[in-house]
Amino acid sequence: MNEQAQQIIDEQAQQIINYIVKEVVRRPGVEIHEDTPLVSSGLIDSLELVNILVKLEDVTHMRIPATKVQPKDMDTVNLMFATAQRLGRPRK
Amino acid sequence: MTAPGYCTLIQALYAAPPEKPFITEWNDEDDIRAITFGECIRLAKLQAAEFFAQGLVAGDRVILIMPQGISLMTGFVGAMMLGAVPAILAYPNFKADPDKYAAGLTGVTQNLKARLVVVDEEFPAELSKRITMADGARLVPSPVPSLNSAEPPLPALSLEPHGLAFIQHSAGTTGLQKGVALSHGAVLTQLHHLATALKVSDQDRIYSWLPLYHDMGLIACFMLPLAYHLPIVMQSPIEWVMRPGMMLQLISDFRCTLAWLPNFAFQFLARRVRAEDRGNYDLSSLRGLVNCSEPIRAQSIDEFLSTYEPYGLPSDVVRTSYAMAENVFAITQSPIDGAPRRIWVDGQQLWNEGRIVPVTDKADKSICFVSSGRCIDGNQVRIVCADGTNLSESMVGEIVIRSDSLFGGYYNRPDLTAQVLQDGWYWSGDLGFFHEGELYVIGRKKDLIIVAGKNIYPQDIEEIVWNHPAIHDGRAVAFGLYNPDLGTEDILVVAEVEKEEQLKDSVEIERAIRSTIAAELDVTPRAIYLKPPRWVVKSTAGKPARSTTREKLLAEHPELNRD
Repeated sequence: MNEQAQQIIDEQAQQIINYIVKEVVRRPGVEIHEDTPLVSSGLIDSLELVNILVKLEDVTHMRIPATKVQPKDMDTVNLMFATAQRLGRPRK
Repeated sequence: MTAPGYCTLIQALYAAPPEKPFITEWNDEDDIRAITFGECIRLAKLQAAEFFAQGLVAGDRVILIMPQGISLMTGFVGAMMLGAVPAILAYPNFKADPDKYAAGLTGVTQNLKARLVVVDEEFPAELSKRITMADGARLVPSPVPSLNSAEPPLPALSLEPHGLAFIQHSAGTTGLQKGVALSHGAVLTQLHHLATALKVSDQDRIYSWLPLYHDMGLIACFMLPLAYHLPIVMQSPIEWVMRPGMMLQLISDFRCTLAWLPNFAFQFLARRVRAEDRGNYDLSSLRGLVNCSEPIRAQSIDEFLSTYEPYGLPSDVVRTSYAMAENVFAITQSPIDGAPRRIWVDGQQLWNEGRIVPVTDKADKSICFVSSGRCIDGNQVRIVCADGTNLSESMVGEIVIRSDSLFGGYYNRPDLTAQVLQDGWYWSGDLGFFHEGELYVIGRKKDLIIVAGKNIYPQDIEEIVWNHPAIHDGRAVAFGLYNPDLGTEDILVVAEVEKEEQLKDSVEIERAIRSTIAAELDVTPRAIYLKPPRWVVKSTAGKPARSTTREKLLAEHPELNRD
């Protein structure tokens, strides 16, 4: 992966992290990183993943078939991006 | 449309015009699959041949765990063609708790003792291990038939109307092992009554995102179109939750006429679809959106109607129905040509006497109820007190049901059956009343809060709490807790604030909620607990789970346990 592509992914990951902290966790003082377990650690509820997946599609400009996504595919921000790359298709 | 008069669902399907469109499966803008009735029969035969080769014979149970779509539906039909008894189980998804899903899977598969368990190729391997396999049972990948394949020979078999057609599961978290086995005759009888009440015609087209492992999705949105030869346009439940507006787009594009929705979906559609998308919709083709499977709230219907009337939605399009898996599906249905009735009743009489006294909508402490309509043909409802004595019209009691499509018992669970079936009547566990010949359903009997002889319905309290601007919408639970000092129940309320920092205003928020509850319902909660976001336990549908939230609150506040 070239440097520019990596930079885009880093920026997108940061957007997702910001979204999770501000809109999902909604609790002051919580920090998360690309590898922070989210659902398995109890930090967020699995139902919140619906909104996070919608946000992930927006940020990556991908269409991700929700029926193929399993809980283990969404437990960290890094896993989410791997899932988007594996299952996603460029949005029209 | 005339009654088909078929003996089995398969016979009804064979009578369909082969070229007529049947199922359109919408996955994405560029992933739409559609089959005709003829193609459905062909695919089902191919799948039946695969199942037969795997050892499936008449009378065997077969479990299907596949994503919602055509392959699942034709596999279901294929199993019925062999005289086998299919049961569809929920497919795992990312928003379901993996441990709960696995535990449910273990229990339900243990009870069914199926010969075959069919899973699709992406079914997680770690979950396959959690399936209980009966002796000699096989776990097989779902067949992927091609319409180009030669039609296979199937064993000669004569299906009987009284033979089992399939097993559907009763909804609810504790109902995971409550399988309801239904005969072809019972299903066709129910469909006939339902089609009559809805005045189904061959011009109808159904839209659905409802899961096929529940009665509303399986019966109203798959068996009804199968037996009455209606096209259906469908999405998966998880796709709908992600993009609820797509439902309205598909109804507009395919000119759908009928759909069924649980109450919460009306509010969800009003709030979650982006305003800028609404201009694309033309909902004028709809002639019935049936609110079914949860207590019906006038506020949810009104919010939906006022949002979508500007986009062609007929103002009286919402219908209501009372239905359950144990009866195949519907018991009542509101008239198909108008809005369901509403009544406002005197709160004091309702809470203190369980008596329905109509008042005007502006009256102080009035409560609004929406009718679920009259019994459809072949169905009878009584409202009874605990000893089974009939209550007079306009008294609140438990709803008990008898019909010509009622189940004979839960599959392999005589213990659970004995609790609910008595002398041919099914005790629903729901509270309701009759008024002018129509049924009004209030809620679950076990959720009722009894405070000094006064009956309080938790949903009335919860609706007040949700309406406070600091409370996260829909995230509040009210329940009763026995107070041994008073010899009666106290009301406890727990609710999530929108943002954690609002907890510093707890005293004011609590005071405001408390005074509204007192003013509108004439009761005072013993305590209101405000909690940070995501505290209230939710069901997989995203609604507050009353009993688990109750347990969580009691665990976190041991001072409440005084027994």
